[in-house]
Amino acid sequence: MSLLEIRLRGLSALPARRRAAVCHGLYHIPESQNTGGRNRSSSAAPGQAGSPGAGDTGTCPGGFGISPEGGSTPSLGSCSGLCHVRVMLVGDSGVGKTCLLVRFKDGAFLAGSFISTVGIDFRNKVLTVDGVKVKLQIWDTAGQERFRSVTHAYYRDAHALLLLYDVTNKASFDNIQAWLTEIHEYAQRDVVLMLLGNKVDSAQDRVVKREDGEKLAKEYGVPFMETSAKSGLNVELAFTAIAKELKHRSMKLPNEPKFKLHDYVKKEVRGSGCCRS
Amino acid sequence: MARREDGRDWAYRVDPYGFERPEDFDYASYEAFFSRYLVVLTRRAIKWSKLLKGNNSIQKSLKVKRYIRKGIPNEHRALVWMIVSGAQTNMEQNPGYYHRLLEGEKNAKLLEAIKTDMNRTFPDNVKFRKTADPCLQHVLYNVLVAYGHHNKAVGYCQGMNFIAGYLILITKNEEESFWLLDALIGRILPDYYSPAMLGLKTDQEVLGELVKMKVPAVAELMERHGVMWTLVVSRWFICLFIDILPVETVLRIWDCLFYEGSKIIFRVALTLIKQNQAFILEATNFPDICDKFKQITKGTFVTECHSFMQKIFTDPGSLSMATINKLRETCREKVLSQG
Repeated sequence: MSLLEIRLRGLSALPARRRAAVCHGLYHIPESQNTGGRNRSSSAAPGQAGSPGAGDTGTCPGGFGISPEGGSTPSLGSCSGLCHVRVMLVGDSGVGKTCLLVRFKDGAFLAGSFISTVGIDFRNKVLTVDGVKVKLQIWDTAGQERFRSVTHAYYRDAHALLLLYDVTNKASFDNIQAWLTEIHEYAQRDVVLMLLGNKVDSAQDRVVKREDGEKLAKEYGVPFMETSAKSGLNVELAFTAIAKELKHRSMKLPNEPKFKLHDYVKKEVRGSGCCRS
Repeated sequence: MARREDGRDWAYRVDPYGFERPEDFDYASYEAFFSRYLVVLTRRAIKWSKLLKGNNSIQKSLKVKRYIRKGIPNEHRALVWMIVSGAQTNMEQNPGYYHRLLEGEKNAKLLEAIKTDMNRTFPDNVKFRKTADPCLQHVLYNVLVAYGHHNKAVGYCQGMNFIAGYLILITKNEEESFWLLDALIGRILPDYYSPAMLGLKTDQEVLGELVKMKVPAVAELMERHGVMWTLVVSRWFICLFIDILPVETVLRIWDCLFYEGSKIIFRVALTLIKQNQAFILEATNFPDICDKFKQITKGTFVTECHSFMQKIFTDPGSLSMATINKLRETCREKVLSQG
């Protein structure tokens, strides 16, 4: 498989276990659950009131790819509950993965409040896509090169990857090819992949032109957008686009037109500056 | 204790180590715990003063081990860590070495990697702010740069910034922090931070095997849902529980880590898992399991550091170094064969 083949594939390409996103029965996961909190408080102990997950997911036979044996794959088209998808953020150290995630999760950006991510961290957010709840479990990874040998192991469980570089850091852009090679080697064949050029709010420090990002993305057949965790530009869109794609793959309705992620992104993306809309 | 007299507001907003307390900090239960813990601290302080008898030297012994398990008073912590870890001896045998490292030629790539993390190490600690005076960021930078040039095989690995940061907060001394970092990375922890991270991967597997033996239901749950141990515990190992458990609890764990070695990490991990077994087993899917593992590091069980530390030596049952070494051997083979 060439790198060019890391791109979106139709539902037919999904292995059976990957189609298991369909959950029977309605259940609700409180949206307030924040698993990203830092721990210096003595807040509610596990098991106390407010703890999510206690018994409320019993009707779901699993999310996407959750049952490794694939034995409990429900039929498609009946996802009346909640789809679970796992999104992984990758890219060099300091490109803004955690900031992007926090902006998406909490709608906030507080300069100087972020800590370097060590190993892996998780945050959850539920999005409603075309009337269906999609629970995103977002994996935030360490960008430092040596952690890649640890991160390899996580790729196989990710349904979508957001690959970031920093438009003010040329090296992070130059490393994108290496990241794509990694992804090619370790991720699922049909993983949803998107390239993001982050920090476009820092116009005066920009060293990677939008055209360069677009060109690279086109070369690899990957949807692309520029983002800013600081201003919020396209952040919501990046995650929504992924959620839409995965939701459509998991529960294609009979008369529904095929969702085209590339087209959707092209249509919805907003520009960062004055030159292009 | 002095910390109680610093002015109620300040003392409450920022903890004694300079960390700002989160907005949802549960002052009431912390206060309840601390008033009880204060009694313990006072008792231990008296015992330790007698033990050290002003001559500032200790020999390893069962009594010292017992004392350390019950917590080293903060005023003696740096000294005791230095002695029991061998850092003191190394420092004395290599006078001027640390400063020569800082004066020597530097690896630009290493400096860049360290710089990237300067503003991202404890932004919630007032002493690590750029605007702080003195600003511990400079001290941290020096310690990490010196260490990266001292141990070139390791260089700099994310996670070391947090560990060095804690060492600086406790020792308030750059050179001592360097030698303690060397004790941890060079001797106490088995190869967690070198580029291949083989020791880290091995120990995560070892924990998995220990859970199989000691909390089989949880191991079975993880297996059934295909959750790799590395997903939920990598930060426990790399950061030695910094930012996972409350500061005071982390320091109590480190007291034992410096004296007894890396086995303590397994004791803590096993205690967290065993204690919360029923809670973890409520999880019915992959993301739930991940959430549970985050939640078990919160709450009164871990805040009450004194009883927590008693638990880590009883809850997981016996845990011999022979068992761990044997598991490390087989797990290392497994990790290597997986490439």
